[in-house]
Amino acid sequence: MKEKWNFILYLVWFAYLILSAVLMFGHGFLLSRKTLSDVTECVPLDNFGCDGHENSTVKGYCDEEEKIRRIVAVPGGPLACVPKQSRVVFLLVDALRYDFTEYDESIVKPLPYQNRLPVMREMLDRWPDRTRLYRFMADPPTTTLQRVKALATGSLPTFIDASSNFAAMELQEDNIIDQVTRNGGRAVLLGDDTWSRLLPKRWLRSHAMYSFHTWDLDTVDNEVDAKIYDELRRDDWNLLVAHYLGVDHAGHRYGPNHPEMTRKLDETNIRLKKVISMLPPDVLLFVVGDHGMTENGDHGGESKAERTAALFAYRGAGLAGTGVDLMIGKEVQQTDLAPTLSAALGRPPPAPSLGHLLLPVLPQASKSHTLLHITNNLKQITQYMIRYGEESQQVSLDRLAHLINTTREQLHKAASIETDDDLNNYAADVRALVDNVRNVFREVWVEFDSLSMLRALLLLLLAIFFNWLITEGIPMERLPNVFASTFVPTGLISMAVCIGVCYTAFYFKFLEDLEHAIILSTGLISASVTCVLIIMHWDGIAQRWYEGRSQFYERFARAALAASAAVLVSNSYIIEEGATLAFLCMTVLGLMAWNIGNFTALLYWIACGVAFAATRSYRGCREEQGDCWTAGAGVPTGQSSRPALVLGMGTVAAVVAICRRHVGWRGYCTVVAGLLACSHWATGYGSLGSPSRAKLLARAAWLVLAVMLALLWKREGRGATLPLMAAGLMLFVANTLVLGVSYAPAAVLSLVLACLALNIVARLKSDGSTKFSLATRCNSSVACMWALLASYAFYGTGHHATLGHVRWAPAFHAGDPNYLDIGPPITASLVSLELFGTMLAFGAAVPLLALWGQNGAAKVGPRTQLAAVFSLCLKFMLCFAIRVFACAISATIHCRHLMIWGVFTPKLLFEAGACAAALVGTVFGATLVAWHLPTQHRSS
Amino acid sequence: MFSLQNQLELRKVTISSLITCIYLPSIITVISYKGILYSVGNGSSCFVLALIFVAELLKSFYLNSSSDIQAKKNKANKNIAGDILRGFVFLLCVKFTFFVGIILFGAPVLDCHEETLMLSLLLTLLTVFPLLLHTGVESSLQLLFGIRNYGKNTVIEMLVNNALLTVCGAWVGAVVIPLDWNTPWQKWPIPCYLGAIGGFVLSNTREYILSSLNLTQESTEPPIPEYNLRQKT
Repeated sequence: MKEKWNFILYLVWFAYLILSAVLMFGHGFLLSRKTLSDVTECVPLDNFGCDGHENSTVKGYCDEEEKIRRIVAVPGGPLACVPKQSRVVFLLVDALRYDFTEYDESIVKPLPYQNRLPVMREMLDRWPDRTRLYRFMADPPTTTLQRVKALATGSLPTFIDASSNFAAMELQEDNIIDQVTRNGGRAVLLGDDTWSRLLPKRWLRSHAMYSFHTWDLDTVDNEVDAKIYDELRRDDWNLLVAHYLGVDHAGHRYGPNHPEMTRKLDETNIRLKKVISMLPPDVLLFVVGDHGMTENGDHGGESKAERTAALFAYRGAGLAGTGVDLMIGKEVQQTDLAPTLSAALGRPPPAPSLGHLLLPVLPQASKSHTLLHITNNLKQITQYMIRYGEESQQVSLDRLAHLINTTREQLHKAASIETDDDLNNYAADVRALVDNVRNVFREVWVEFDSLSMLRALLLLLLAIFFNWLITEGIPMERLPNVFASTFVPTGLISMAVCIGVCYTAFYFKFLEDLEHAIILSTGLISASVTCVLIIMHWDGIAQRWYEGRSQFYERFARAALAASAAVLVSNSYIIEEGATLAFLCMTVLGLMAWNIGNFTALLYWIACGVAFAATRSYRGCREEQGDCWTAGAGVPTGQSSRPALVLGMGTVAAVVAICRRHVGWRGYCTVVAGLLACSHWATGYGSLGSPSRAKLLARAAWLVLAVMLALLWKREGRGATLPLMAAGLMLFVANTLVLGVSYAPAAVLSLVLACLALNIVARLKSDGSTKFSLATRCNSSVACMWALLASYAFYGTGHHATLGHVRWAPAFHAGDPNYLDIGPPITASLVSLELFGTMLAFGAAVPLLALWGQNGAAKVGPRTQLAAVFSLCLKFMLCFAIRVFACAISATIHCRHLMIWGVFTPKLLFEAGACAAALVGTVFGATLVAWHLPTQHRSS
Repeated sequence: MFSLQNQLELRKVTISSLITCIYLPSIITVISYKGILYSVGNGSSCFVLALIFVAELLKSFYLNSSSDIQAKKNKANKNIAGDILRGFVFLLCVKFTFFVGIILFGAPVLDCHEETLMLSLLLTLLTVFPLLLHTGVESSLQLLFGIRNYGKNTVIEMLVNNALLTVCGAWVGAVVIPLDWNTPWQKWPIPCYLGAIGGFVLSNTREYILSSLNLTQESTEPPIPEYNLRQKT
């Protein structure tokens, strides 16, 4: 049985090929923009001569007004600092959605988040000239790190940054804090430590606190409150940044429709009142939300509710702006804040900023000062475009040159501004121009590395094609011989040689991108090795295909999988994928039941249908779905209701109690783990519960699960079926633990569905002899059906392929891992287990499809058994690889689609995650089988 | 004799499928001109089903009007009222099965019962009802569960094919529901309803073409035996 481990190694090899190609695709697809380390400098007015040139030789005296006119008349000159500056208080209320700030007396029964900030309306009514309230439109991705970056730099964050959300890195670009400190100004930071991680060592005083305790609603806010009033009394700072997190955390934990949100907003109201009353009249106050939230309190995507934040500005001594500027709720872009803030602080806009000045939220300034601000803004943007054109070819040169020329023309016009009307028109022109520039960059910054994307697609295609030939072509009885030969070692050695060559080339600097080269070369060499294998066995393949004819249900199952992959090209089907998968699964299972053709199969099929219908109530709802969204389905489940608790505990306990009888002595571990999970929920429930004890119980459950994992490897010599079932149960209990009590019944339903499908598969008709029955059991249609079910389980357990639907609560159910050194990996693994745990379990259970039941493979010799399990596992992995391939193709096709960041990219990410989980699970299951198989008795 | 019987059956199949191909599309055309095509899911458009019911009934009279005296005798012996009652109960059961099946396939569980009911009624009328009229309760049950084979009986073959394609049509109709085109005809159950009708019409067209081809073939064949006969005499 020397081929035993070759089978497993081959599965690992295949998983590596698929995942590395997906990784490569991700590298090409999720590209960020080029960050430039340029810094905007401005020259003080004193250094200008009266002719408007820096260090001019023309001597003489002129007043400031005259000088600025001259400076403006020199379009190519450097930026000049505006002498007037004011201090700024920048209050960032995380996730302050615009409609939280609205006040409407006519609402009879306000929702928990409505009419909670009356102070804003009061101010607007009393002093319309001192106060502004705008819609503050964020760009996706609407995660706090990206928003803070955007607010500080005035640029557009890109999607790739979303992945570094848990490890904020120092900002490499010019930003407002740097602008302030460069001029000797001082900045003070209170609150969220995202700022201090992005911009360390810039602060005069910094009271930053850890921001990812999303269940902690008050600590950060109280700390900020304790400091902010003292800070307001001082005057040694120019910029005070205070970042409150309570509203965001209330949204994450409870959603906006919860009394806790009312409490946090009321607190914000009192805080604002106090701050405004203490504010010196010449200090500018900005109260800003960095993003909104969905009706579930999540954010990250690009829905309107997530993008619409609020901007409230107040200055005791009055603000500029007339007419339409006073309109409440006007839409302004978040990129505009950085140039505006730096203008208020008397600094030029940060170098990467692509915003224009929001004049109505700045203090009244003289015409010449305003003009100077506007020309500074234009000069900075021109400079940025020139530099960006030098550094990167993302924007086509023609386009960039056109934009640069337009801004230069606009700069030339500045000299001819005389009246206020002229100035207003000019400001409007500049606004339009900057918006245009911004849109051009916005379009292009979703720039893809098409070469590596195409290579990754090619690698995926090669791996899928040759492995499809291996599983569907090479006859099953030849498989043990193939894998007993030197095929797998040859492949692995050639891959090792490739890696060695690549590394050497990298070491001697022949190569720049090591990872890319390794992935490409190993992918190609594996494809050629498998190709050689195919050619060597072509006679067998041809014969099998010539003889083989498949039944209708088999062809239909394959077609269903292909269809489920093909419809990923359409956004509507991605949005409704849960229903689509259920529909396809039902049909495939129905045809299988029809093939069996007895009453039991019909009953199983009906039970499947009922289970599908029951999971429907757990299916989430995403904003694009419309109907259920507006009906308020899936409204915040911060705390589960009492019936949900009873249902969750009851179902899990029932499953554990029933299943323990069927897995031998390992059942006791299952029972203990299940009971610990149930008591964890019961103890942590409601206000009477004890969170600390609940966490302890959860840890105990994890400990039992770890013991169970270790016990899985105890050999008994009774075949692999029992350990496999125990492994499935273990993953199930782990899954319910992270899913939480309200979704535990959904996991139970997935388990029931899996059992029913197993039973249907076990009854499939075959032509009598074990050989043929094995061929039926290891048919690709079975693998396709299983893959469809596994993909459905993702939706059936209440997930959706949007970033907003990622639940962070599971990371904290057994205590806060961030206090540990290994916190981030634990958080990541718990959250991904919550998302893809069902795929992992389905993957681990794949060998059961071949082994389970009366006519299963458990009766035949270990060599055949292992070959059957291997071929089924490879087919299942192929199904997921095909789905990922379809996702990648659709992302490539739609890379300029309106919904690329809202629908297709998240789907690609989640499908890649699902694929990885399924591959890992399958390898785990196959290893378990190989470990537990008795060694061949030569005599028999 | 056998050939004659076959010929007769073929003619029946041809004519009845031709009638179907004419009457169903015309019903759809008329209701779409009346502007009530998108309300086929409501109970108010029950008359469409009534029309189909009457048409299928008439068709079945035509199909059953065989020259076979034996069959007529058999029918006369039986209790007609009891037959009708049993057939009615059978239809109800089938309709309920369709109803549950449609819900299991993804129709809303708690609402839209009226629409689902209309769809299941239509499916019953198009699939099981003609079969029931032609063969009676027991044999249609046997046919449905595949216990009895319909052998060379072209009429039953046609009816079973019709039923299968109708269900397939309804299945395919569901494909357009998730699309975000926001058209009025994407509302539940219109795509499935129209899909079922489309499948039925398609199947009938196919039957018509095939059987008329066969008819022409057989009508060209006879001269040869006649010629032989004359030679013998």
